Amino acid sequence: MSLAAAPAPPRSVFGKPENPRRTVLVLLGPCIVYLVLFSIYPLFHSLRLSFTDMSAAAGGGDWVGLKNYADLLVDPLFWNAAKNSAIMVVLSVGIQIVLGVALAMFFNLHLKGSWIVRGILMLPMLMTPIVVGLMWRALLNPDWGLIDWAIRLTGLEPPDWLGSVNMAIVTLVLVDCWQWTPFVFLIVFARLQALPLDIFEAANVDGAGPIVTFRRITLPMLMPAIVFAGVFRAVDAFRSFDLVFGLSYGGPARGTTTLSFFAFQHGFQFQNYGYAAAIAYAMLIILSVGTTVMLRYAQIRPETGR
Amino acid sequence: MKLKPGRILAYIVLIGLGLVGIAPFVYLAVLSTKRRIEIPSQVPPSLNFNWSQIVKNYTEVLFSQGMLSFTLNSLIVVSVATAIAIVIGTPAAYAFSRLKFRNSESIASTILSMRFMPPIAVAIPLFLMVKSAGLQDSYLGLILPYVSFSIPLVVWIMIGFFDEVPREIDEAAMIDGASHYLILWRIMLPIVRPGLLTAALFGALFIWNEFLVALYVINSRSFQTISLGAATLISAQRPIDWNIAATVGVVTVVPILIFSLFVQRYIVRGLTAGAVK
Repeated sequence: MSLAAAPAPPRSVFGKPENPRRTVLVLLGPCIVYLVLFSIYPLFHSLRLSFTDMSAAAGGGDWVGLKNYADLLVDPLFWNAAKNSAIMVVLSVGIQIVLGVALAMFFNLHLKGSWIVRGILMLPMLMTPIVVGLMWRALLNPDWGLIDWAIRLTGLEPPDWLGSVNMAIVTLVLVDCWQWTPFVFLIVFARLQALPLDIFEAANVDGAGPIVTFRRITLPMLMPAIVFAGVFRAVDAFRSFDLVFGLSYGGPARGTTTLSFFAFQHGFQFQNYGYAAAIAYAMLIILSVGTTVMLRYAQIRPETGR
Repeated sequence: MKLKPGRILAYIVLIGLGLVGIAPFVYLAVLSTKRRIEIPSQVPPSLNFNWSQIVKNYTEVLFSQGMLSFTLNSLIVVSVATAIAIVIGTPAAYAFSRLKFRNSESIASTILSMRFMPPIAVAIPLFLMVKSAGLQDSYLGLILPYVSFSIPLVVWIMIGFFDEVPREIDEAAMIDGASHYLILWRIMLPIVRPGLLTAALFGALFIWNEFLVALYVINSRSFQTISLGAATLISAQRPIDWNIAATVGVVTVVPILIFSLFVQRYIVRGLTAGAVK
């Protein structure tokens, strides 16, 4: 080892000295080419579509400039969908953070057998969202659903979960919480396990009660994990489409038509490709502004190899 | 053994949480054993199982409704697309983790941001591309877009795993004159095998559950994937036979339950690829 003060330049398998630029190209090239072809090009294609009136019925696709976007801004159905998406994101993320942190504190008691329950709580996240929707439609069925039956046992009348316009979006949020609260919990819990114990001991010695310790020490130290989980959840709740498709199909009376579902209706059912592309771009704009703001606030940077 | 009341309460909460997590699956599974008319009449459903009815429901779903062939389609699409994504994504992740080059950080974040893209934003152009290439109703028409959805996932899971390998290992190999290709192939890949497994499983899960692109690309029943098949059989806009719908649901998620046994340890990394360490 000590003799090799100046290492020989690395050699490729063929015995030629390795050219660092070519190495990068060989390793990274296929990935970039593929993504440009099948992710970035479609995005630009989508952008171009959004300036046309292309539809399956009219065919063609004449350039109409910003017409689709102008139409969008005065389309009450667009604002309805935007409102539903906003409700979905704010309520879902809010509830999931509160419950997720509470779960993390609870599992921090390290009860015997709690690892089994932790394992069970992983399952909803992996489930096909369509089937999650089906499951909850059964549980909440007004005539024979198990949950409605259980509520009636207590003498109360269950809400019209999926039948009332105002309730359906709440139901959508609740099902999203069932599926994804464990995600927040897992991330916060992992962080909680990594906190140094001596801080808590010191707080205890100084006479801080459990509530003060939680508010002044635990919560601030968990904050990065909470914000991180919140950003992930916000993005996913914003894009969520499959669950809406499986649970409520946007209804009743468009009460659960989120932006994703609205774009789907125009793109798939009505086949107004131009208009659907404009909706999708409105979503992308909201998404990139939203995540930029959140990430700046949260100070999370994607970590690359340093 | 004496338990404090607080402790007992805590265990009650724990059991309650377990029930909240698992009861919906159990309920669906119970519904899948019933006759159609039993579902509205037995509330709550009784646990007396009728074996011949179970066989009837599952044969109906697997064979008459075609779920078995949808499953096979999914297995083909999932395994080919995941394999391609791993082969393309892993070397890229190695490059991001170990090589210095211009813009490496911004390229990596661009790839990460694709993980956040709403599929609806690319579904239409992908569909038009697939259509103009004449690949509608074919495995390739699904595999090509799915690979592009899985690559960001693979890249980001693998960067995390590569970053964990101590640099001394490849520096030592460098000094001995090994090339990056050799280091990746002979030294790194065996070390990051759990990462490859995690990336493959989560890529596969994503494709297994995906149905929006499939909805556009596939018209013919003989090429439907499992989630598309399930979606068309049980979507919320049509009246359904609940026993059959529940059976479709069970058939769709049973492979995922098996899958979940393998991912326990890596689930956080798989779900959050790209930002937590």
